[in-house]
Amino acid sequence: MARKVGFLIVALALVVAVFGSGALAADTLAAVKAKGVLVAGVKDSLPPFGSVDPNTKEFVGYDIDFVKYIAHKLGVKVEYKPVTSANRIPMLMEGRVDIDACTMTKTPDRAKQIGFSYTYFLTGQKFLTKKGTVKSLKDLEGKKIGTAKGSTSEQNVKKAVPSATILSFDDYPQGVLALEQGKVIAVTTDESILAGQLGKLQKNPATRGKYEIPDIQISNEPYGLGVRKGDTKFLDFVNATLLEMEKNGEAKKIWNRWFGPNTDSPINRGKFRITADRMGLE
Amino acid sequence: MIGGLDFTVVWKDLPYFFLGRYPKGPLGGVGLTLYLAVVSLFLSFIGGLILGLLSVSRNRLIKWGSSAVIQTIRGMPLLMVIFWMFFLLPSLLGGGMPASWTVITALTLFTSSYMSEIVRAGILGIPKGQTEAAISTGLSHRQAMLHIILPQALRNMIPSFVNQFVSMIKDTSLAFIVGVSELTQVATQMNNRTMLYPTEIFLFIAVIYFILCFAFTELSRWLERRLAYQKAI
Repeated sequence: MARKVGFLIVALALVVAVFGSGALAADTLAAVKAKGVLVAGVKDSLPPFGSVDPNTKEFVGYDIDFVKYIAHKLGVKVEYKPVTSANRIPMLMEGRVDIDACTMTKTPDRAKQIGFSYTYFLTGQKFLTKKGTVKSLKDLEGKKIGTAKGSTSEQNVKKAVPSATILSFDDYPQGVLALEQGKVIAVTTDESILAGQLGKLQKNPATRGKYEIPDIQISNEPYGLGVRKGDTKFLDFVNATLLEMEKNGEAKKIWNRWFGPNTDSPINRGKFRITADRMGLE
Repeated sequence: MIGGLDFTVVWKDLPYFFLGRYPKGPLGGVGLTLYLAVVSLFLSFIGGLILGLLSVSRNRLIKWGSSAVIQTIRGMPLLMVIFWMFFLLPSLLGGGMPASWTVITALTLFTSSYMSEIVRAGILGIPKGQTEAAISTGLSHRQAMLHIILPQALRNMIPSFVNQFVSMIKDTSLAFIVGVSELTQVATQMNNRTMLYPTEIFLFIAVIYFILCFAFTELSRWLERRLAYQKAI
């Protein structure tokens, strides 16, 4: 009996090894059209990029609007899958999502594993602090700084302020909470995310006017949409769509919807335009 | 307003706390927490029983094999087991498995290996005379275990089971690590949207967790009383 069970387990493991590692379809464009659904990895708790509206129960945000446009262009529906900073790249590589639209900074290291679209959002890494406490990078030396696990922000700040202790939180709002309680002197990540957090602090009478984002930038953070490595047809399609969105004004409209002057996290679009760039990849 | 706290944020989106994106998307919130807990509870009861019985087997190969599995899983943090299952299972099974089921599998494996020790202790806690008496009446080892030992042992295990299950109900909150929107993750989403009411939101879900665990404990106390009347040992 015991032997039979043993054989069964070995056989099962073999079956799984043979059929489980099925090769992923290299041509996502054709595969997505065939199944009629684009599966997008998005953030579900990071407004204004990606979050769930509790009233309509739909995903909303800057990232979401780009995915929607791409899916519309393909003539397919979208299925959103919430991803975290830690699992978004493996999920894309394993084929559990077709595209990653989740505030992902393009880096040469990541580009070895996945393909990146043109930059669809450009920001820089800054600090959110209590007003007047931080004037330059010097003020941060030897202090505690909060950021999020597995993000490029974590690596950048280690390089910029090597003497600081970096506390990595699961996401940025937890870092902001730590800042409010004085556990960290600053929270660092892309300005776009900090602007959203500052907007929330401004809404609260207890914290209004007490926080700021000093003009200290430690990196350029170009966001790209992630696709599988070597999936050229799909990447070309995504890139062409992004350029079209810039041309017909849709990209600007989406920016203003989430970062315009009347939003919770106003950011000036400045000179940023979607172009055929290779930012962040070299 | 209750004591300076403003719970409007909770009442306003109560359905979201309880059901997540359902029916427009997958079930979330309290509903998903309950689903994860109940299914894992059921499966790990069976899993724990099987692993526990294997670990008191008279066949050394089975005994050592099962205890190796138990030791390995018990030696890992639950967070790690969840993370492993999230990536391992879909690649083994061809990608069709929803994230919530990878969490259920992880919880089941983890809780089963803890429960197996409870089962083992429960079985070893029944005096040897019981087995000897059963066998001398002509029952086989298997029959003695099924009809004499297990019914008595299981009754003694109930309090330890409840302990383990209550702990598992709370462990479902670790599902956030793979982006499964159970109660804790839904609360995080709400907090990130509003940012003004962390105390209210997290106090509210603490109460919900307490109610779930308390209700479960009461239910099992009742079950224990119901089964007490036949008690021999």
